[in-house]
Amino acid sequence: MSGGLPRYVQHRAHLALRVAAAALAAVLLSVAAPVAAQTQPDGSGSSANPGDPADGPRVRFTFDKHPSIHVRKLFELDVRVKSQTDWRDFPSGPGTVPKNVFDLHRARVGIEGTLLMRFDYQIEREFHDTTRPWRDVYMDARVLRDLQIQGGHFKIPFGLDQLTSGMDLDFSYRSLAGTYLAPGRDVGLMAHGRLFTDVVKYQAGVFRQGGENVRASERTEAQSDRTVAARVVVKPWSGLRTRRSLRSFAAGIAFTDGRLPEGRNSLRGKTVPGDAFFEPVYVKGGRQRVGAEFQWRPGPMSVQAEVMRARDQRHGQGIDNENLPDAVARGWYVSSTWLVTGERKKDTVKPARPFLKGGIGAVELAGRVESLSSGNKGSTGVSFAGPRAPWILGKTDNVWTTGVNWYVNEFIKLQADLIREQREAGGIIIPAQGRLWSRTLRVQFAL
Amino acid sequence: MRSRYVKYGIVLVLVWLCGPVAPVAAQSSDAPPTTPDTLLDGSVLNDIWLHINARDWEEIHTNYKEGTYYPIDFEWRGIRVRNSGMRVRGRFTRNDRKPSFRVDFNRYVTGQDFLGLKALDLNNELQDPSMLHDRLSMLLFRGMGIAAPREAHARVFVGANREFAGVYGVVEEVNKEFLNKNFGEDGGHLYEYHWQENWGFQDPGPDLRWYGVRFEPKTHDTESLADLYMPVRDLVEAVNDAPQSDLEGKVDDYLNVNTFVTEIAIQNFLAQTDGLLGDFGMSNFYLYRFAGKHLSQLIPWDQDLAFGSLDEPPWHNMSTNVLAAKIWDEPKYRDAYLKKLIEIADLMGPAAGSPGVDDPSTRRCPAPEGEPPCGWLEQEVFREYVQIRDAAHADPLTPFSNDEFEHGIAFIEQFARERGNVIRQYVAALAPELLTVASRCTPFSHVTCR
Repeated sequence: MSGGLPRYVQHRAHLALRVAAAALAAVLLSVAAPVAAQTQPDGSGSSANPGDPADGPRVRFTFDKHPSIHVRKLFELDVRVKSQTDWRDFPSGPGTVPKNVFDLHRARVGIEGTLLMRFDYQIEREFHDTTRPWRDVYMDARVLRDLQIQGGHFKIPFGLDQLTSGMDLDFSYRSLAGTYLAPGRDVGLMAHGRLFTDVVKYQAGVFRQGGENVRASERTEAQSDRTVAARVVVKPWSGLRTRRSLRSFAAGIAFTDGRLPEGRNSLRGKTVPGDAFFEPVYVKGGRQRVGAEFQWRPGPMSVQAEVMRARDQRHGQGIDNENLPDAVARGWYVSSTWLVTGERKKDTVKPARPFLKGGIGAVELAGRVESLSSGNKGSTGVSFAGPRAPWILGKTDNVWTTGVNWYVNEFIKLQADLIREQREAGGIIIPAQGRLWSRTLRVQFAL
Repeated sequence: MRSRYVKYGIVLVLVWLCGPVAPVAAQSSDAPPTTPDTLLDGSVLNDIWLHINARDWEEIHTNYKEGTYYPIDFEWRGIRVRNSGMRVRGRFTRNDRKPSFRVDFNRYVTGQDFLGLKALDLNNELQDPSMLHDRLSMLLFRGMGIAAPREAHARVFVGANREFAGVYGVVEEVNKEFLNKNFGEDGGHLYEYHWQENWGFQDPGPDLRWYGVRFEPKTHDTESLADLYMPVRDLVEAVNDAPQSDLEGKVDDYLNVNTFVTEIAIQNFLAQTDGLLGDFGMSNFYLYRFAGKHLSQLIPWDQDLAFGSLDEPPWHNMSTNVLAAKIWDEPKYRDAYLKKLIEIADLMGPAAGSPGVDDPSTRRCPAPEGEPPCGWLEQEVFREYVQIRDAAHADPLTPFSNDEFEHGIAFIEQFARERGNVIRQYVAALAPELLTVASRCTPFSHVTCR
């Protein structure tokens, strides 16, 4: 691994993930090997129990949407390949880092499946990221009908947009709030499940640190402490037999609570092209996030919104060692999509008539308004940009995104977005970099 | 009786007149300063309070080799400049015990200044037991008409508990404000010279990158390499190409020869071993090229290795510098240089032939009647010494003992008394005809003679 992380931290993180991956692989092999050993030379296999409803080949290889191995009801393994390649036209100028026009945004290979009908697993590696290549590496056990326990490396349950798979986004990029205010992945243990016939979905867990979306200085800090998180989503009309359009209505809340290591570890905030926007300030104490989400998908349309707020305590961080007012970051977005070709909006859209198979695929129009801001200006005091300023100079990035998504078929998706940003500091549009346009075109392939 | 009423009347009028004046006078003395002159004129020992988070104070010492800025509030005479930035500065004197600092008032707040100053340097005086070398040198430069930073001393207090962190030199930064004050303009190109090797105007060839490493642009820093350094290269080439018999004709467009003569004369008078004629080449200066002109001027910086040796000959290192060598080798320029030395000796005092001091340990300035009078430099040394003595003795972080401080002071007092005559003797040995009437004045009469 490379990057700015201390070697011992890189080593520890790698070691933990390797051990987890190796243990999972060992479990899988220990199950698969004896079964495979029973497979007949002709590959048809033989049933140990002729009366088993799954009678048939013990090991079955398929390649429908993706390569799969099924070992009766004992073991399922799907191989997944994901890639996203972007063409980007980002503005250049003061405060920006030059970026490549073409960007291999994602190049992931992973496996996922079920073990003994009770354990779901996933292992995914990003080949584009050499510093933190492991993405989801977890095992999820169905303990009770309404309770599952998930352990490993996965996303902390906070933020609808952050929790949405990168392959299922309605826009090329996640909302800024979802990207920078939500914590992202970490190693942890989580209880989750659905209650009252899917009316309530809950997630609650404890995680080793504060997620991967925090500053590198916080991730590598030995003082970093665990984070607890919980999320509850209610779909009050999910069981309605009439008024189908209301079934998808969902609203939820979430929070996280963690301890912050002392240092310039306030939450990151970047612009759409990825340039630093929030100045780091000194923090110490707790970090709390609260968020609320809303999603509704009536037929081919969807409306989605989120608002979140994070506050970092600054105990003893003043110039004269006094406590400072909390550093606050806020974000929100409202987005809407419309599948012009009439498909029903889902997490993963499947075109009714794929391109070159009697149709044009699925075409979707999308729009989003969002804002990411920092600062804690009170009723008194002057705001400054300094890292120990009591009142932090407020910064806001207001973004408007419009886009067209073309689902060519179930494997390929093209996304074109036009993005306008308006960046402000202290309520004033930043000269020379305040109003900017960006364009992106993404080609996505998923197997 | 009548005269008594008149007296009462006069008293009442006086009271009426003086009544409003007294509060106004009191207000004016208590009113906060509006210019940095009071801070930098050296009239008093300043008290500066650096409000800095305890963790930052620890970190700035731990990471003293880095240039990381830390937020501070800078307080002087009740004026508190909030949200300033401070980093460790210096090159060879960087240390984790008593670092030098640069205070940047507009680091975090665009446009913020402190009485018109954008930045200030706090010098740890680490190479100078007396703590006075740099300040006295700059004073002499300015006295001789050379633009040089103003400097004073301060007791520096740190943190919420106002702990005493030692005596520091408070040095005006060479920046646009300095240029405006001294040259009436700031549109030219200012460079800080970074010593790399023994170099004294030798032509390094056409490669502009050579200059880029040594001359850090402090203004116009986004200009191209060619725009920044071709004029500097032209200056160096002019120095090298100029015939020694006609330096003014060839060099004056790029560097005023007379000004350069004054600068090297001051530094050699002060036995500066780390300046324009340093033992390891040119060092410790800024170069300013005036707006729209080829003409540049060298601005002295960091003179704490002055006062090196009482007996150092005034031609020290003249041969190692291309321009200084041409000056020394050409009689008319050498005479100008030697005359400048005499001029400095006369300014510094005491007058030629002044009797020595019997017991330096009891020496006071101004001298009591019957004692040899103090020259300007000796008087200034004594004044500054009295100003900083108690604070220097109490300095918890200076690497020097109080004895070393006192010995350092004693040496520059001796230097102030005797260096002029040493220089005169050297000059007399080379060109006795240059010794002016003023320089041959009888003892105790130098003021009148000049």
